[in-house]
Amino acid sequence: MRQVLNITYYETIHILRNRLLLGQIFFVPFLYTLLLGTVYIAGVLNNIPLGVVDLDNSQLSREVVTAFANSPYFKLNKQINTYHGLEQAMRDGTVRAGIVIPEDYAQKVSLHQNTKVLMVYDSSNLIWGYNTRKYAREVINSFNIDHTAAYLAGLGLTQEEVHNNMDTISLNMEVWYNPTYSYATFILLGIILMILHQIGLQSVGLTVTREKEQNSWLQFLSSSVPPWKIFLGKCLPYYTGGFFNYALLLWLASDLIHVKISGSLLLLILLGVIYILVINAAGFYISVKAANSLQVTRYIMLLSVPMFIISGYTWPSRYIPPYINKLAHLLPFTWMSEGFRLATLKGLGFHYLVSHILALTAMSVAALLPAMTFDKHRKFPG
Amino acid sequence: MEQLNFSKVVIIMFKQGLSVMYREITYMWRDRGLRNLLLIGPLLGLFLFYATYSAQAIKDIPTAIVCLDRSDTARQLVEDMKNAEYLKVIAYPPNFQDLEELIKNGRVVVGIVIPEDLGQKVALHRQATVLVAVDGSNMIYATNAASAVMTVTHTISARAGINALVSNGINFSQAQEAYQGINIREEPWFNPTLNYAYFLVLALTLNIWQQCCTLVASMNVIGETGRRSWYQIKASGISVFKLFFSKSIVQVTMFMLLVLPIYIISYIFLHIPMHCNFGLLLLFTLAFTLALHSIGTLASSLSHSAIDSIRLGMLIALPSFILSGYTWPMESMPHYLQQAVKILPQTWFFQGINYLTFKNPGPAFIGHYFLILSLTAVTCYGVAAIVTLRK
Repeated sequence: MRQVLNITYYETIHILRNRLLLGQIFFVPFLYTLLLGTVYIAGVLNNIPLGVVDLDNSQLSREVVTAFANSPYFKLNKQINTYHGLEQAMRDGTVRAGIVIPEDYAQKVSLHQNTKVLMVYDSSNLIWGYNTRKYAREVINSFNIDHTAAYLAGLGLTQEEVHNNMDTISLNMEVWYNPTYSYATFILLGIILMILHQIGLQSVGLTVTREKEQNSWLQFLSSSVPPWKIFLGKCLPYYTGGFFNYALLLWLASDLIHVKISGSLLLLILLGVIYILVINAAGFYISVKAANSLQVTRYIMLLSVPMFIISGYTWPSRYIPPYINKLAHLLPFTWMSEGFRLATLKGLGFHYLVSHILALTAMSVAALLPAMTFDKHRKFPG
Repeated sequence: MEQLNFSKVVIIMFKQGLSVMYREITYMWRDRGLRNLLLIGPLLGLFLFYATYSAQAIKDIPTAIVCLDRSDTARQLVEDMKNAEYLKVIAYPPNFQDLEELIKNGRVVVGIVIPEDLGQKVALHRQATVLVAVDGSNMIYATNAASAVMTVTHTISARAGINALVSNGINFSQAQEAYQGINIREEPWFNPTLNYAYFLVLALTLNIWQQCCTLVASMNVIGETGRRSWYQIKASGISVFKLFFSKSIVQVTMFMLLVLPIYIISYIFLHIPMHCNFGLLLLFTLAFTLALHSIGTLASSLSHSAIDSIRLGMLIALPSFILSGYTWPMESMPHYLQQAVKILPQTWFFQGINYLTFKNPGPAFIGHYFLILSLTAVTCYGVAAIVTLRK
């Protein structure tokens, strides 16, 4: 045990003396989470700039425009009043959505002739696109409900009769787990898990290569300290730092950025313990095998985006081809991000996460075995 | 005589420059790790991202219906849900608990519960409530599912309301008029099929490409000054400006050569839309490449080791895609962050790529982007030159 602690002490001193490494372990994850959390802090899209081309200018068309203007989702840009102007504004991003009311709209409606309001939205960014479409449908549904209620009242129906009629079949839509449609709740936890993954892998990944470059790895190899003790001693500070970051970043997301984190605390701790273990063991083994720090840094840094995208965290895995899904399931991030979402967002218990915990445990064993039993014999040339 | 000397000097300078370029190409080619990363990394990314988004759009959202009623009204409702755009009914669990389990497990995204007395209530003109539960844990699913449900909701409610009015003695045309409301025609512009592959594949691949470029650019100065050979170079009399200028030409040319196959494969083979002139796109990419290279060069001039320089460069390059507002719109970020992210060339690049590929807003609009990227390049190269000359 003393040998392990000695190595841990030596590694800790190194981390404390190397300002960049210290910053990478303790400051960068915090900075990234704060920065990227601030990006998503609004959570939902509001005040979508909307251009209105009202060619009818009737009472009905003005009511339609007012329905959009009164919605918190849209912000009217009053400078646009022609179709050409709307086209130009959509092209240069001044507005992201537009409605065009044809010139004989009210007349055609009163004559029951076929006429439609044109709703256009910018789908060059699909976050704009899908949200604008949903909001527009909400506004139109709400407008139609008001219209029907007013019409029925005009027929002499009492308020109760109107209410009863309109709710003959009422479809009550409930959005579970993320009822406010918050993008922060949706995406930030995945980003945090990726930050922990990358920073952890990068930091541990340099622990042996650094020794190799300083020619001090030879001392470890020629000493009587067994490989597993070297692994434990070297990884302990990174593991502690990784777990500290895990707790800190979740607190930051929950308390400062108001990301929904519910579920069993014990389960979150268990997931964190295994996830950081896999990262540390894999990082150490990579470091033992890598020729130099440059190699480790280059390869690890480029992994984050592909790993995040193929994991199914954003684009559902149901729509991803099976061979990509299989590849993604070889990575701890895929299991952790999915399991973490089930635990924190859906608030599910251990029973639902058995496969995730087993997969992560199997991965940690698979990473620990080679990391703790690496070959200490040097290969001499010739 | 003087003119002859001048031409000799120019020829020598040119030859020196060429030698440095040749040396740089040789160094990069010999570095097998870097070579593989640059040649394979972005193209592998392109393949992975395109394969991931090959479904292109969210359709057939898995839906389950718990139908506790056997009336015609309930059957009609089930039919409406089955015919709904984007919903695909894949299960008919017998009760709410089973439906809840399916949603918890992620097997279905939309769950509908039709109460056992729906038909009876509708016949007696009493209110009946149908529950529609949407799994909101994945927003891509949730927004699509909610939009699909909203369309069906209006149709079903209107039909039930009209029937109730008619049975209460109100004229059919009046009843229909009451529920007529406004009809809208939706037109998604610039990406009419709401295609995720069009939206993300090229941008994500360019993100990998810019990270690879940052790795190389971050070695530009420290790759020389951090070596012992730096003293040899200094003693040889070659000017520092000429050295780094020649190196930079090679690196920037290589970055452009790396991006070419990405564009060609994306536009010709994957049919990702491009609404602007290809020459303009390349010119815009060149402006960004210079800005990116200048930042890498600056990071490499400030760092004490190659690793530190790469860390510094990647510290900016890694989160820059999210910060650029390409996915989560910049307009929805806090005002101070909107201003701060404009310092990064990646913000201008990814925004510009979106405008050029989908909208082509014209040279006057994109000229502003060129100006900012050029200013970034001039500033960073300038500072890097001052720092390097002191070494």
